[in-house]
Amino acid sequence: MLGSFAVLRKQSLLGDAISHAALPGIAIAFLITEAKDSNTLLLGALVSGLIGTFWIRGIITKTHLKSDTALGLILSLFFGFGMLLLTFIQKQPNANQAGLDKYLFGQAATLVESDVWMMAIVTAVCVFVLLLFWKEFKILLFDADYTKTLGFNTRFIDILITSFIVLAIVLGLQTVGVVLMSAMLLAPAAAARQWTNSLAKMVFLAALFGAFSGVFGTAISASQNNLSTGPVIVLVASVFVVFSFVFSPSRGLLFKQIRFIKNRRDLELHKTLAFMFHIAETHENISHPHSVKILNNFQGYTRGTLQKLVKKDYVTLDGNMWSLTEEGFKTASNLYNQQENDE
Amino acid sequence: MNSAQIEIQLIASLVAIACAIPGTFLVLRKMAMISDAISHSILPGIVIGFFITHDLNSPLLILLAALTGIITVVLVEYIQKTGLVKEDTAIGLVFPALFSIGVILIAKNANDVHLDVDAVLLGELAFAPFDRLIISGTDFGPKSLWIISSILIITVVLLITFFKELKVSTFDKGLAASLGFSPAIMHYGLMSVSSVTTVGAFDAVGAILVVALMIAPAATAYLLTTDLKKMLLMAIGFGVLSAISGYWFAHWLDASIAGSITTMLGLIFLLVYLFAPSKGVIAVMYREKQQRTEVSLLTFLLHLKNHNEERERHVNHLQEHINWQKVRAKSVLDLALKNNMIEIDNNLVSLTKKGDAFTSKAIDYIITNEDAQIEDMKDDFFLFRG
Repeated sequence: MLGSFAVLRKQSLLGDAISHAALPGIAIAFLITEAKDSNTLLLGALVSGLIGTFWIRGIITKTHLKSDTALGLILSLFFGFGMLLLTFIQKQPNANQAGLDKYLFGQAATLVESDVWMMAIVTAVCVFVLLLFWKEFKILLFDADYTKTLGFNTRFIDILITSFIVLAIVLGLQTVGVVLMSAMLLAPAAAARQWTNSLAKMVFLAALFGAFSGVFGTAISASQNNLSTGPVIVLVASVFVVFSFVFSPSRGLLFKQIRFIKNRRDLELHKTLAFMFHIAETHENISHPHSVKILNNFQGYTRGTLQKLVKKDYVTLDGNMWSLTEEGFKTASNLYNQQENDE
Repeated sequence: MNSAQIEIQLIASLVAIACAIPGTFLVLRKMAMISDAISHSILPGIVIGFFITHDLNSPLLILLAALTGIITVVLVEYIQKTGLVKEDTAIGLVFPALFSIGVILIAKNANDVHLDVDAVLLGELAFAPFDRLIISGTDFGPKSLWIISSILIITVVLLITFFKELKVSTFDKGLAASLGFSPAIMHYGLMSVSSVTTVGAFDAVGAILVVALMIAPAATAYLLTTDLKKMLLMAIGFGVLSAISGYWFAHWLDASIAGSITTMLGLIFLLVYLFAPSKGVIAVMYREKQQRTEVSLLTFLLHLKNHNEERERHVNHLQEHINWQKVRAKSVLDLALKNNMIEIDNNLVSLTKKGDAFTSKAIDYIITNEDAQIEDMKDDFFLFRG
């Protein structure tokens, strides 16, 4: 759901960066508390995710490095640091250390009831805040300068959105893991974007797609041995995306291609008709018959287009000779006028 | 230091160099995230290659993995070209999907072989020396050393041959195309080199570290210089430095080498980010502060020029009138005095000839707002900084 905002704000890869950046937080939280309480670990992840995000911001605004470099930099550096801490922890004499790396790849099966409650609560808070600040979010998304002139505190709203994205990511980490979290954030939103231009519908659809891929993914992975849940969920979400890309009515590739072909055919038909019109114009009698052969030099002409013109009653065929009908002449002259008018 | 330690450091340094070269161009071309995508999506290629050859070091594996890397790039570009989503979203969609396929392939088929996700993602440099290349009984050193050196040699040869072309197509695509180099060939060439480097390095240092080694040294160097050759050399230098210091750091902590090399890269970047002479955060903040003082000075001089009455030009009154704090007012006053712009006589401030001329010029600029005049102004402002 929050992914919609990330996609529209062109910060899609932020999710990826944050999910990696959360790792040192988890490790440090573990080092400090020496316990594997999932809430403190998540808090650590949240803090380091936020630090990562703001450092990315700092790099982009303060230096001339571009956002992609900043993202890649923070992602790999934080992750590497996290790995260092994890291996360091493994060398520590502490029995609790095992299982920390489940955060790396996620394991939905290891979730316990309290985790699920936690997620439900956070989701509810997200929805609540989203509804509360709906207008502000929307306006900031599409026209940040305008928002500023209206007197909204853009910094605050910005930080609010970012924090919630980070929060959502950190929670998702347990389920699908670091690497696949970005797909969970992006895929439903990218799919939803193809079906609608309205933000409200898009957010709703994205939530729906996300939920469906979660359910289907879990079901598929449960039905077979040895299939980890996270990757299957991501694959299901990707299938949704591909499906949306191809079949969405207004933006989809399939319909675009159909429209494209149809336009080309229309154009060819019109070209042939216009060409015939020019020939017929030179004669007093518009239905004066001409040989089909003279059309051969003309590009737009095919046997098919001629047949179609006959079908539309614009042209009559008589053996190897063609002639324009009254209607055909009228349409063609209109066509010509239209072109002139357009110019 | 025993021979294994030397070998590890040698491998790490070579990987750092091999990564820094394509990394520099990726950073300059604003495609840094592509390297992240490649490093993840080569997984299915590696897995399939492994099923065919059952050997983690075979050339076929590298070839297949590089192929998947290129497929990733092509897919990302295709999705982007449809105009349905932005480039970053396209990247974010492609690589997790390919990575998932890889993970599932491993989980389904390779449970009992030496290949797991951790190894691919994180790598373990410490084991590299144990996997030796033995030809007819003679020991030629670690296999990964050979792989990475051959990749490095290819990269360097390509770099030297196509340096001019790469440079032009990186900075001015239109010019490159009009000069007759195909930007597409350059693009895919660079992508192939990045893929091959990533694959060659992943087994030694892991996918994440490859990304770090590609981006971090290049980004650090970019903060320090704008010259391409210097940037390449600096990136290589930073890479090697952090590889070696990272190794000793890991040795001391007894932790993952890959992780500590990345941490070293991070530390170096942080230092440069803060202290770089012209683009570092501190330098930028200092410059902003100076500019603020300059603007204040200008306001102050304008005020003086506008008022001839004694009351308006009294030192204390200036403080109240322009609404400055005491310290700020004093620093501005000192700066103006130092530059002979004003003279203070009996607590009355007045413009000197020089100050008067300067102020007129400033007013001229503000009114006409012509660019020609701002050039002279800039020269004048250098006076203050001295």
